[in-house]
Amino acid sequence: MIDERHEELAALYAFDLLEGLEKTAFETAMTRDPELQALVRELRESSAALAHAAPAATPPPELKTRLLSEIHRPSYRRRRSKVVAFPQWVPWAIAASIALMAVWTGQLYLTGRSEAAALRSQQALADITLKNLQTQLEAERIISTQQLTGLNQQATDTARQLAEARQSAATAERLLADAVQQSGDLERLLASARTELADLGQQLKTQGDVANLKITTLASMLNNTPQALAVAVWNPANQEGMLKTAKLPALAADRDYQLWVVDPQYADPVDGGTFTVDPKTGEANVRFKTKQPIKAIKAYAITAERKGGVMKSEGPFLLLGAESETAP
Amino acid sequence: MLSYLPSVLICAVSEHEDCEQLPRVTVRMTELAPNPQPDDRQKEDARLVLRMAQGDKAAFAEIYDRFSRPLYATALRVVNDPTEAQDVVHDVFITLWEKASSFEAGRGSAFAWAVTLVRNRAIDRVRMRRRRSELLSASAPADLGYDENPPGAGADDNAALGDQAQVVRAAVATLPLEQKRALELAFFSGLTQQQIAEQLSEPLGTVKARIRRGLLKLRDSLPRRL
Repeated sequence: MIDERHEELAALYAFDLLEGLEKTAFETAMTRDPELQALVRELRESSAALAHAAPAATPPPELKTRLLSEIHRPSYRRRRSKVVAFPQWVPWAIAASIALMAVWTGQLYLTGRSEAAALRSQQALADITLKNLQTQLEAERIISTQQLTGLNQQATDTARQLAEARQSAATAERLLADAVQQSGDLERLLASARTELADLGQQLKTQGDVANLKITTLASMLNNTPQALAVAVWNPANQEGMLKTAKLPALAADRDYQLWVVDPQYADPVDGGTFTVDPKTGEANVRFKTKQPIKAIKAYAITAERKGGVMKSEGPFLLLGAESETAP
Repeated sequence: MLSYLPSVLICAVSEHEDCEQLPRVTVRMTELAPNPQPDDRQKEDARLVLRMAQGDKAAFAEIYDRFSRPLYATALRVVNDPTEAQDVVHDVFITLWEKASSFEAGRGSAFAWAVTLVRNRAIDRVRMRRRRSELLSASAPADLGYDENPPGAGADDNAALGDQAQVVRAAVATLPLEQKRALELAFFSGLTQQQIAEQLSEPLGTVKARIRRGLLKLRDSLPRRL
């Protein structure tokens, strides 16, 4: 049963009034429907019959004469086209291909329409979203502007406070510099005072040491050196003494002078060290320390001993001096 | 001659004159040699074309006699110029002669094939010769040719029409005027569907429906094999 739609298409097709996709789609449908093919054949015959409905007209007789003479002319060569014997399925295959193309194109069209509709929807949605975003953006811009104004005010205040702080810091720095300078001055004064105090202390100490010094003169005990003289000064505070001689005769090379200190707490004189004198003047300046600590000096003695000295005096006393006076 | 036609079509030919002319037609039928039945006519056409394909020039002459008048009338109706109509018909008969071997009776009648060739070539000529607007103004007669007197048609009248033409005209006469008008434009004008709708000042759907109904009714009114 052919519906009205296909009847209409068949009628239009019979008059060659279908075009493009509509024609392709109909020819595709026709290849699958023998009933439709039969209808098209009938309608083509009916439309061809309309040739009889044209106003009656007879062609001039010479037309037939001309045609017959043409096909009878010896030189006329029938332009019979060489019919290529295509297999009968070829037209059907072509029609099927066209049908597939039509279906494919139709699907593309429908898909395109659907996609276009979807894209339009997406665009509308995107427009709405864009408007919302623009509104939000505007609101945030206003808020940000207000916040920016507040921040600017805060920045101004902060800058003012910072300037004040800097001014205060500069003042403090000046004060600090002054204080440092004062401190330096004070330190210098203190150092000077300490120096003065040290000098005073040294003076006091010197004065104290001098007061405690024990000075002893030693006299010659021998006749051959009556001019020999020696003076010994002892500082009990630091257990150190100074011996100065004059006109003592030079000794042989294997012998040294040796100083002895007599302290009552010891049975024997305490070794004060060896020394030599200048051969020409007989002078010597010797700083000495005793081998044992001295509490009180009763006398000094100088002997001539073996080179390097001895532990206990072996030779005679060359000079002897008893403790008799102290420095003022 | 028209003994095979339905009586209703005979009445249609007679323009609803209560079939008073039916006896006249019958008389004409008796005056002429018996006409072949429609199927026989088409079979005879097909046989002639087959002979043409084999180079039979006598068959060509016979086909010319059978087809030339409706083909020429159609061409003249479309191009509206006797010289051009003759050229069209000349070209079509040469084509029939040369392409006779490609004719397949199963795909339609030889006459329908020839009409299609004439119609297409005539429409092509008109389209080439004029602009479409000129075509519209120069074509589209008021009816299917009964009131037309194209150049070269003056010598013919209904009496000279063949029996086939009379049958077709009778069938067409039964159609409502708007259907006849739609078929006329669809067949002879070479216009598109949309242009026909514009020409008739009717919606496209209406024009399509008229063409469908008119052509189906024409098919039903005509003998199965004209």
